[in-house]
Amino acid sequence: MLVPIFTLKLNHKVNPQMVAVGKYDGIHTSLACATSAGKVLIHNPHKRRLQSEGRMSGGEGDISLLNINQQVTAVESGRLVAGTQKDTLVIGTQTNLLAYDVDNNSDLFYKDTPDGSNAIVLGKLGSLDPLLAVVGGNCSIQGFDSAGNDAFWTVTGDNVSSLTLMDFTGNGQNELVVGSEDFDIRVFREDEIIAEMTETETITALCSMSDNKFGYSLANGTVGVYEKTARFWRIKSKNQAVSISSFDLDADGVPELITGWSNGKIDARSDRSGEVIFKDNFNHSVAGIVQGDYRMDTMASADQLICVSVEGEVRGYNPAAPDMSGNLMDANLEQDSIRELSQRKQNLMLELKNYEENIRLGSGNQIGEYDKAQMGIIPANTQLQTTLAVNSGDEKTPAHVELLISTSNETVIRAVLIFAEGIFEGESHVVHPVSSILSANLKVPIIPPKDALVDLHIKTMVGSKTSTQFHVFELTRQLPKFSMYSLIDPNIPDPKSSVTFQINDRVQRVLLWINQNFLMQEDLECEGNLRVAFMSLRGTGPLIIQMEQNSQMCIKTDNMDLAGDIIQSVANFLKIEDLQSLVEYPTEMETLEKVLVKVDDYHSVRQKLTAEMADHSNLIRSMVVRAEDSRIMGDMKSMRRGYMDLYDLNRDLINGYKIRCTNHQELVTCLKQVNQIIQKAGRLRVGKYKTQVVNSCRAAIKNNNVSSLYKIIRTGFV
Amino acid sequence: MMKLNLTRVDYVQVGITSPKSMRVLPTSGKLQRIAIADNYGILQVFGAKKAEIQQVFQTPPSQKITRLELGGPIGGVKDRIFIATGPEIRGYTKKGKNFLSFDTNMSEPVQSFHVQGSDLFVCGNFIFNHYHDCKDTNYYLCGDKINDVLCLPMDKVTEITPVLACQDRVLRVLQGSELLYEVEVPGPPVTLQMYDVNGGDEGNEILFGTSDGRVGLTSIGQLSPSHRWELTNEKRNGGILCLDNYDITSDGVLDLIVGRDDGQVEIYSYDEADEPTHRYSYTCSESVTSVQGGIISSSGYDEIVCSTYAGWVFGLTSEHQTKEFGPQEVMVESGTAHKLMGLKDDLEQLQDKVMKEREKYQQTAYSNTAVSAVPLFKINDKFVLNREDASYTLSLELQMPIDNVLLQSDVPVDLLDVEKNSAVVSHSACNPEEGNFVLATYRCQANTTRLELKIRSIEGQYGTLQIYITPRIQPKTCQVKQYPIKPLSLHQRTHVFDDTRPCNTLKLTGQFSLAEMHNWVCFCLPELPDRSPAGDSVVFYFISTFLDTQLQCSYRKGEAIFKSDNISTISILKDVLSKEATKKKIRLDINYDINEDSIPHTLGLIHPKLEYQLLLAKKVQLIDALKELQVHENDTSFLSPEYQQILEEADSLQIEYKKQPCHLERLYGMITDLFIDKYKFKGQNVKTKVASLLEILDNYELKTLVDFFENSV
Repeated sequence: MLVPIFTLKLNHKVNPQMVAVGKYDGIHTSLACATSAGKVLIHNPHKRRLQSEGRMSGGEGDISLLNINQQVTAVESGRLVAGTQKDTLVIGTQTNLLAYDVDNNSDLFYKDTPDGSNAIVLGKLGSLDPLLAVVGGNCSIQGFDSAGNDAFWTVTGDNVSSLTLMDFTGNGQNELVVGSEDFDIRVFREDEIIAEMTETETITALCSMSDNKFGYSLANGTVGVYEKTARFWRIKSKNQAVSISSFDLDADGVPELITGWSNGKIDARSDRSGEVIFKDNFNHSVAGIVQGDYRMDTMASADQLICVSVEGEVRGYNPAAPDMSGNLMDANLEQDSIRELSQRKQNLMLELKNYEENIRLGSGNQIGEYDKAQMGIIPANTQLQTTLAVNSGDEKTPAHVELLISTSNETVIRAVLIFAEGIFEGESHVVHPVSSILSANLKVPIIPPKDALVDLHIKTMVGSKTSTQFHVFELTRQLPKFSMYSLIDPNIPDPKSSVTFQINDRVQRVLLWINQNFLMQEDLECEGNLRVAFMSLRGTGPLIIQMEQNSQMCIKTDNMDLAGDIIQSVANFLKIEDLQSLVEYPTEMETLEKVLVKVDDYHSVRQKLTAEMADHSNLIRSMVVRAEDSRIMGDMKSMRRGYMDLYDLNRDLINGYKIRCTNHQELVTCLKQVNQIIQKAGRLRVGKYKTQVVNSCRAAIKNNNVSSLYKIIRTGFV
Repeated sequence: MMKLNLTRVDYVQVGITSPKSMRVLPTSGKLQRIAIADNYGILQVFGAKKAEIQQVFQTPPSQKITRLELGGPIGGVKDRIFIATGPEIRGYTKKGKNFLSFDTNMSEPVQSFHVQGSDLFVCGNFIFNHYHDCKDTNYYLCGDKINDVLCLPMDKVTEITPVLACQDRVLRVLQGSELLYEVEVPGPPVTLQMYDVNGGDEGNEILFGTSDGRVGLTSIGQLSPSHRWELTNEKRNGGILCLDNYDITSDGVLDLIVGRDDGQVEIYSYDEADEPTHRYSYTCSESVTSVQGGIISSSGYDEIVCSTYAGWVFGLTSEHQTKEFGPQEVMVESGTAHKLMGLKDDLEQLQDKVMKEREKYQQTAYSNTAVSAVPLFKINDKFVLNREDASYTLSLELQMPIDNVLLQSDVPVDLLDVEKNSAVVSHSACNPEEGNFVLATYRCQANTTRLELKIRSIEGQYGTLQIYITPRIQPKTCQVKQYPIKPLSLHQRTHVFDDTRPCNTLKLTGQFSLAEMHNWVCFCLPELPDRSPAGDSVVFYFISTFLDTQLQCSYRKGEAIFKSDNISTISILKDVLSKEATKKKIRLDINYDINEDSIPHTLGLIHPKLEYQLLLAKKVQLIDALKELQVHENDTSFLSPEYQQILEEADSLQIEYKKQPCHLERLYGMITDLFIDKYKFKGQNVKTKVASLLEILDNYELKTLVDFFENSV
């Protein structure tokens, strides 16, 4: 059994996912964790306590505390300054980013990051020269070098929730893997997106593993491993994974995926199969898992796996000694496999018995009608038919995709369970009609919240009205990507907005794409120019897809997101690597203009408030002195008055702070909107043109050149 | 104390086993043999020298065997095996010779029995029969279900004294065909076992285990019982299924071995005061139906043999499976490799056979006459009320792995998280108009054969909970199980009633029979036997697990009287009973007598709970802020003692708070119901006043609340 080689208590709370380890003086390993009250604690068991000055404050024993005075959102450490062995501690808050030299107790840089910093990763990105601190915020990703210059910037579909650097392509350079709240994992080679995978929930953590593999975890309790763009395995638990890490615990040369769970469990899973090879339990949720040589033991040949719980308990594990031969759980392997085989044998025997009984019951009439109904005996040739159709809805029911399930005879459907990811509140949807109205067919309304290809795993319980046992028919149907659009008469007025682009392919191929990706009663056919119109069931207006014989394609819809989805899907289907397009989005442009004006407003309000606050704090200082003077002189009346004034002022300050908070919140939403529009504009192009749009937009915003921004979004270049 | 270190060794797998149907035979030579009977009707005896199975004999399959006991001459070696199947008791020698087949002629199948010398004590669901030399000598009809039976050792206690463990939370001590007295126990007793060697020095000490997970020792005196100790179930472990005494710690004192239905096997040893202390726990994933101590696989090494619901027989042995041998560890057993090979061969053959059958089955899909009939699989289920947190626990266990479970309810209930189950739960959107208040799926992880769910109900809202279980086996089928959520679902049977409390009375008169009334009361309250009790009139007592208010139901033909200090209880009963009577078209005259004093009394009962919860909530709210202060200030001695105490107890407070989610909301709900019900009896609708009631609750003080109840209208 693998046991921790050390355990210790930090006696401080640790915020989940905010644990980092580093050699801040270049030699000694220390642990940095964000704790409550806007502080970061540094646990350094090998060195005298750091001096209490500057940001450093108190602490006891091996622990020093760093005052950040803001809510910390991310902590990471690693090499940032070239030419030194010292690691830098990088701390993100909602508004700022601090790169901190722990050894010298000084700031490396302190930057405003209005997009926030939800995740930080340090290292080299692609061929970019300096070491970077890459910060993921609301829809944006920024990279800072050691001097605090932003050397890298790009946008992504939604708020970034996790980041990692890894060699995804195997070219010897690091790519950036980004997980965001729109359930997408995107891989950036510098600022170009080279891969995009859609998951079923917010991606809460990513970690790079060996051989182009990386591990990921989702907010719904899923943990898994990707090899490049293909998912290798995944498992789902009812608990949430807080932190994942890759570490070779069984010393077989291949790192395992280590997961720390919200219920305090830690497990190590084989990167190939997901099989658990080791587990341990904390009493509280795990806060973070890192690795480092924490014992500074000359005997220890490698780093330890260090696990930290939210209550500040730390455990370190050494990789297993070779004589354990990979058996870390003290399991009696023979006994386990005997048990497993016996269980399988038992299951097969039971199955066999089912068939025997089936023949016995089927042949004779030993059982009465009542029992027959109870057992749910059905004709062997019972079949289940399913059809998917678009239902435009009426006053009572909203528009939906309708799944019709029916049996081929007089048997009834008791209930239907559909397991599918990302389209229901949970992972399943159940239809269980009142027992008096059971019939041979059942309609299931499905409203997918977003356009995605979904597998529906349908389990249907079939029997008779009085059964206590039902046969379960299991089948899988695919819901096409654009299922919430119904085909309408193409002769409708065009929407105001459109995207036009040229593709080098035949109309028939595009038609094939439409037939595959939309839900229609029968496949479309077309001679000559193509014009197809759909109506969105989500109420975002019509969608018209046009294609002329000269291969010019035009997508007309007021929904910029949808146009982007369609272009990406078409490009993927036709294997187009680069695509430029001409974009007409007048309403979207108007919004952008308004938002930019608002951003300016909020900025000025913020400055005004800051100045006011400084005034107030000066006033407070003098008032305290005056009130205390009165107290010493025994003038209780004026002291009382003084403190009353102080109280009023304090209240004003708090009010001011509240205004500032809301102001900031508004600012953040506006900035997010701007980023999203840029991202949407990017998605209307493919490949290098996409990168170009994003970069040019960034430059335009930086130079406050609003007019060129519109041009870039429209034409794709300056 | 030395730490116990036991290792699991698997022996065999048989069919589904009923509780207490595996015994270790007395020593013959160095090693002991195991006798086990299963639901296929097979009894087998085998030895397991060096974990290698040597079968002594095996009977052909017949009816389900519900119990296995050992017998022999009084005071002598008990090496005769007795089994109960259907209405029959059969006896086998240890060699497998069938020396007895005795048809009890009872109208119910035998559920439990006990053998001593030539005396047989046999119980069905409600009937107890005593046979001497297979001749009927005594008979007793019990008011509630009998779960287990025992007779005090006849060599120590001269009078023949059988003890019945009954579902209504009592042990009934008999003498002849008469009831001597009843012993009230804290939960429904399901299993009985003699304490120590044959019941202690006096031979009258018996251990009992309850379905809510408690174990107790009580001595059955000549005239009255005396309780010795009780192990409570604070960790909310599973219910007890079996008990045994065996000295596994080798300290010369027999230890207590406990098997639970959540798969736990526990060992307790006794301290100086003869109180049990916990020594060891092992958890397997299936209900443990029998536990026995013995020496099975190698001489000199004690072990605990366990059988599980799905038929596993395994030992927890004190012998180490690996031994230090030079620098490398070598497996002691070489037999396992052999065993493994054999299993693999078996499996392959079986697989082929199953493939063929599967194909055949699929072929029938093209036939127009064939039917698909899959036999019903067995479900071991339990739906019990937990007294500690007033919630229901539903446990489901199958012989094969569970694929998924669908839970459907036509009444609003809350599903609570159960820490030990790993199934992924997903709530589905549902429409109450379609009769679905709750629809949830539990998708189980591989190899889960047992699932536990926790459900919280609201009194007054009643209906049915339905569970659809799909096992992971071909051809796929699912079975539905129904559990009623009764109107007074949070009440529990008891045997005492405090007359001094102020009571509200509901009196019903009309043209109904006792059986009809009993049916209705059964419909309203849990833990009552289905069949109507003997006699002209009956009295049942209940206590609310949530509020500790009481209820007395006494009824006979044409008249029923309900008394409770809680007006809401009376109100619910009145509504439900009149509805039920209307359904049957029976006219009921309803009289009620409302005692105004009962309101402050009930509020007084709620008061300590509410105050405690409010204080707890307040403290928990402060913890984070105080912790933050602690981080800022190195020294917290300036804080008031109250705050310092909160800081010190932070962890336990949080655990306590987490244990009872929504407790406060539930209490508020009860108080609101009480308020509405009080005025409902006066014919006033006060729903508009509820908002001001909640306001008062927000700044809670008992006096203002009582005043509000009295003077608000």
